Amino acid sequence: MEKDMVFMHEGLDRTAAEQPTWSSSSLGMEMQTNELNCAIEQVGSCFFNLNWDNSMDQSDRFKSALSSMVSSPAASNAGSALPASGDNVMIRELIGRLGNICNSGDISPQSFIKPNNNTHSSNTSYYTTPLNSPPKLSLSMMDSQIRGSLNVPGLGNQLPNHPSLAPFSTDPGFAERAARFSCFSSSRNRLGLTEAEFSQRLVPTMDSVKLSSHQSIKVTGSQANAPESNNNSQQERNFGFDKKISMLTRSSSPENAEFGDSKEESSVSEQIPGGALGNSSIKSQSHANARKRKSIPRGKAKETPSTAAAEAKVAAQNDESTAKRGKQDGAAANAKEKTEQNGNSKAANDGNQKPSNENSKPSEPPKDYIHVRARRGQATDSHSLAERVRREKISERMKFLQDLVPGCNKVIGKAVMLDEIINYVQSLQRQVEFLSMKLSSVNPRMDINMEALLSKDIFQSLGSLPHALSSMDSSTPAFPFRYQPQQGLPLNSGISNNIETQFSMNPLNAALHKTHGLQLPPIDGFTDASPQVASIWEDDLQSIVQMGFGQNQTQSYQGSKAVGQVKIEL
Amino acid sequence: MNSSHLNPSSSLKSRFTTRFLRALTRINARKPISPSSPREIFQRYRRIKVAADKSMASSVRSRRTWSRATLWKLRSRSCLQLASLGRRRSVKTSTITSRQAIMKKTSHEIENKTTTEEDHQDRFVGQADKLRELVPGGEAMDLCNLLDETAHYIKCLTTQVQLMRKIVDFYSL
Repeated sequence: MEKDMVFMHEGLDRTAAEQPTWSSSSLGMEMQTNELNCAIEQVGSCFFNLNWDNSMDQSDRFKSALSSMVSSPAASNAGSALPASGDNVMIRELIGRLGNICNSGDISPQSFIKPNNNTHSSNTSYYTTPLNSPPKLSLSMMDSQIRGSLNVPGLGNQLPNHPSLAPFSTDPGFAERAARFSCFSSSRNRLGLTEAEFSQRLVPTMDSVKLSSHQSIKVTGSQANAPESNNNSQQERNFGFDKKISMLTRSSSPENAEFGDSKEESSVSEQIPGGALGNSSIKSQSHANARKRKSIPRGKAKETPSTAAAEAKVAAQNDESTAKRGKQDGAAANAKEKTEQNGNSKAANDGNQKPSNENSKPSEPPKDYIHVRARRGQATDSHSLAERVRREKISERMKFLQDLVPGCNKVIGKAVMLDEIINYVQSLQRQVEFLSMKLSSVNPRMDINMEALLSKDIFQSLGSLPHALSSMDSSTPAFPFRYQPQQGLPLNSGISNNIETQFSMNPLNAALHKTHGLQLPPIDGFTDASPQVASIWEDDLQSIVQMGFGQNQTQSYQGSKAVGQVKIEL
Repeated sequence: MNSSHLNPSSSLKSRFTTRFLRALTRINARKPISPSSPREIFQRYRRIKVAADKSMASSVRSRRTWSRATLWKLRSRSCLQLASLGRRRSVKTSTITSRQAIMKKTSHEIENKTTTEEDHQDRFVGQADKLRELVPGGEAMDLCNLLDETAHYIKCLTTQVQLMRKIVDFYSL
């Protein structure tokens, strides 16, 4: 029942003092029976008291609470009138999904059916299995509990849903979702949302989870009955948490086939399948772009195999550690208002910040939007949120570029980094021009068959190839093969001087000579004498390349010095 | 590098190398060489450079904006060369106007950025413009995607340089 879920989640976040307020804070749904209430409170206390360290104790307590909870619905089933069959369906499916997430194949769908047919004893036995797998414990407990409560009442209705659960049970991504739920709750704390809000939102979150799975491409058929009810209920409850869940569900969407272009791990929050909580089936979450986030919550879950309730408590402690992860969650739109319909309000708020993101997913019929959440202590204005997300993305990419561009590790700051990047790109382009010029002068001599060339191990280093080089011709103009901007390639004149004599090494050597004359005087004799000038040249070129990036001259000098022993390795 | 040798059909390097070498043979075969003339050499240089860029862009297909832009540029250039003078002008102007439209969009973005951030960001944005000029097809992209494209472009450029260097060395045997 929804109420059960609500209370469970409320228990997640409430302190002991606030426990009595559960009944008052119910979402307007009636309690079925007092017995049920007691059971729920028990469960809530179990949730609440759990901490990450006492997994086994908590799980035992939880087990007992769950069994009592399960038994109470069974007892009250006869007399209770469930609020809405649609809710039941939703909750059931949600539980199914959760259970599948948690067990990820450990427990076949058949086992889910067992509680349906049997008493709570089977439920208890079901509980034992998740205990063996701590990471999945948190949700599996909840799941089985809810399932137990629902299965008994909804005997008839449940069976059709089981086939729908089958795909989930095999979904490896469900464990991740469980983990993500934990991350979810932790991130919630970071967001500074009240616990009441969280509990309120978690329910629609669950619904949205169901909704997302409903809408998943792979799980369409058997859940045809569910989506309608889900949609209705979701529209009724206009909670901002839909966004959170959608964020979670969507973070994995990049792996969808439709988002083939969004493979970069940096584009985490962008890969939102859009529309109603994502086409990303829960399965796809396993491939989430949020790989970083995936590992972190999972690690967390492993350390602390208690339920999600306890996670919320621990989240406060883990704020700093999750701050970085929260980056991937994005900055949530501040309020519930944004989550009216999936993405419409969000699109409006994001304005022109995310048009490219939406346009980049034309294949998704529902509109794609970015879920972001305001971080604790930060402005929650929609524009600033979007700005923050944008900035984070940019800094992510800058870091990636830092790895690509050599010599950028020492540099900190976007402007200087950009300078380096620009220099590097310019130098690479010039190198290409230079090499093509070289090739154009080399080619007349070549009779080598192309196939032979290819069949030869061209990919291996050519260090063994000796190069016969002519004496340097100092009359050639300086070859602008440096990063410091110089004049354009005066190749024509340079080439024409040397074309009759030796091959194109001359201008290169001359340039090298001049370049080194400026910076590495002792090299001259080196290059004149050595028959391995080509290797020197190659290494020197590379060292020149490095010089452009601020590496000290001694370093490049040493690199050149060692050229005699160094083969060309490309 | 060895891995690409083992599986030559799939990697970027192998694709680029095959195409480039094919183009080179074509260029070599086309001209019974009169190497002494600098103009000839210059023309060859241009052709080889075009071939290198084109083969690299073709290896990337259309997965990347910069490769699409490069291919488009090369193709339009070849069209221009074939076309008459009048047609050439019209194509050029259309190119220019579309470019201007794109630049307007990016400048608008830049404006938003500068109003909200510091002077440091202004410099940053100015450099981003420079980067846009460098990376083919970069004019139409916001900074985020521009950095993506730049990363991929750098990777492909380094590959290109390495392979061309190896070819040159091989040729200069």
